[in-house]
Amino acid sequence: MKKAITLLLALAMIFALAACDANAPGSAAEVTRENLKVGMVHISELGDQGFTFNHDQGARKMIADLGLSMDQYIPKFNVSPADITATKAAIVELIDAGCQIIFATSFGYNVAMTESAREFPNIIFCHATGFDAHSAGLSNLHNYFAKIHQARYLAGIAAGLKTENNRLGYVAAHPFSEVISGYTAFYLGALSVNPDVTMDVIYINSWGDARLEREAAEALIARGVDVLSQHSDGIAPALAAQDAGIWHVGYNNDMSTVAPDASLLSPRIDWGVYMTFAVQSLLDGNPLPVDWGTGIETGAAFLSPLNTAVAAPGTQEAIDKAFQEILDGKMIFSGALVDNDGNPAQITNFAGDVIFTFTDENSYFVESDVYSAPSFNAILKGINIIS
Amino acid sequence: MEQLIFFITAAVVAATPLLFGTLGEILTEKSGNLNLGVEGMMFMGAAVGLSASFLYEQAVGAGASGFLSAVLAVVFGFLAGVLGGLIYSVLTVTLRANQVVSGLALTIMGVGMGNFIGELLGLRAGGFASVSDVTRSAFSGARIPGLSGMPVIGRLLFSFDFMVYMVIAAAVLMIWFLNKSRMGLHLRAVGEDPATADADGINVTRYKYLATCIGGGICGLGGVYISMVRSSGTWIHNCVGGLGWISVALVICAAWSPARAILGALLFGGLSVLRFYLPIQDVPAQVYNIIPFLATVLILIFTSVRQSKERHQPASCGVNYFREER
Repeated sequence: MKKAITLLLALAMIFALAACDANAPGSAAEVTRENLKVGMVHISELGDQGFTFNHDQGARKMIADLGLSMDQYIPKFNVSPADITATKAAIVELIDAGCQIIFATSFGYNVAMTESAREFPNIIFCHATGFDAHSAGLSNLHNYFAKIHQARYLAGIAAGLKTENNRLGYVAAHPFSEVISGYTAFYLGALSVNPDVTMDVIYINSWGDARLEREAAEALIARGVDVLSQHSDGIAPALAAQDAGIWHVGYNNDMSTVAPDASLLSPRIDWGVYMTFAVQSLLDGNPLPVDWGTGIETGAAFLSPLNTAVAAPGTQEAIDKAFQEILDGKMIFSGALVDNDGNPAQITNFAGDVIFTFTDENSYFVESDVYSAPSFNAILKGINIIS
Repeated sequence: MEQLIFFITAAVVAATPLLFGTLGEILTEKSGNLNLGVEGMMFMGAAVGLSASFLYEQAVGAGASGFLSAVLAVVFGFLAGVLGGLIYSVLTVTLRANQVVSGLALTIMGVGMGNFIGELLGLRAGGFASVSDVTRSAFSGARIPGLSGMPVIGRLLFSFDFMVYMVIAAAVLMIWFLNKSRMGLHLRAVGEDPATADADGINVTRYKYLATCIGGGICGLGGVYISMVRSSGTWIHNCVGGLGWISVALVICAAWSPARAILGALLFGGLSVLRFYLPIQDVPAQVYNIIPFLATVLILIFTSVRQSKERHQPASCGVNYFREER
């Protein structure tokens, strides 16, 4: 008897669960300005004053631009991309809370986002820095990024004009295309105004680690670089530059408050541009592009104000000129680029096959064309990978 | 050669917070308390030390003294660590709670508290909580006339910030204390066999409390080093980032000896920066990251095979003392 009741109860629970699924929130009801809820999965928390802070600022800007209220934005902080189960749980919680559109900020959420998009076809999933939407074939999964390489190129001009010994240093996160594209653009920007410049790169193999960022920055300073830049989340390299009396180009946030004598400017991403576009499209019932990536033309990539007290004279003018050239269609990765062995530079895909070669002066590679995430991954002559 | 000097100075700087944490934990464990809250106490020391400097500068304004600001950071960072040790002692010595669980709880609390305080300061400052140049220069490298200027020797011995010399002094003091002083021998007796020590008239509770609190304070100084020197007096989210746990591993690696802790900290610190200064082609970064822990495992195997009486964890470590159960 007991067993039969247990079995019945278990069956009842299963049906109850199945019933829940059929009535999953957001499945049928039309999205309106009033019932709209925007969910967001963050890798860290606001206190990082970097990547997550910047993303949150984007969400707040979207809320303000569209005249929504703050309780329509539901953030989940400190969701580890390494933990797919936790990421999916966070996504389910957001859906249960009534979110019709979910943004995830970090590359590592790719598996959880793709699986969730398959599971919840009525929810819109927007994944920053990822590249799975291109091949997933799901109408509700989208990737977005900004053409930050354009802003990094412009920031490189400030570095190229400022350096006195023509040696730049770069604290880089992971050795893959998003980072390589960034520092190469920075280097090419410096090279465009200073043909003698070289750059040392150290990978810290982390997106952000205060100790590693500091140690790598100090090692670069010990090698003799006099302008330091970074693709890492924190401010430690800016502080190291300030303490060593050299100059610095930041990322994610304006770092001139913590390093007033070192910080020249920071290339930044305004995530709000895409978020406003995506949420507005959802409200209007318009489909979103599979991959979205715009640059300085929409303000998705931009520069923090130039620290004129530190920058070399004429920097602003040079940046403005290059800015206009990019608007007019100038490609950052163009010309007869060569690698450290003097061979034409080659771009490879994930399988390692060559997809592009810089054969002559007229070659150019359209970054963020295939995926919104960057693809340029050639190591150019003049860039020394230290570690 | 030039890179080698840079490497050695970077290794010393990387070793300093580890050595603070390790010395603090050795002192704690010598009393039979296995306090796994090092990471938490470091976070508390880092945030409270920075807060002391920051709030002092805000209160005084332009006339702030770098010396006083640095002293305040060190004192309050130490006291924050003492508070962590005190919480742990009340839990384990007086209330006899499980040592491992209490230590882990202290870590979780300390990490949260440190980030909370640091970021609250940041909010008050409207972005980043950062001290001014006078305090930063008090924590910057020494400029000793006639000594710091010497080639090579000056840079290797006389170019560091004051906390580096402080941690070496603390290590030397601890070597003497644990091996030569009566109190140190009493402390070791408590850690080895509290019942015997108790029978001998040693106040077990007082020794456990004092060693754990002062040990916690020393761990807190490691945190001060991270926030005031390594982060230039600015709060960086999660700035301690696991150094406390490496310190706990270092205690084992150093076999509970302060003298070996100096070498161990240099080894761990040196390996953490080695690949930046002396990179070897085709050796991935992960290999460098593994070596210190591989060394710890090897030392553990080595000491347990040799059955050395000297190089063991204090016998009562991890076990609370119940006088009534003698």
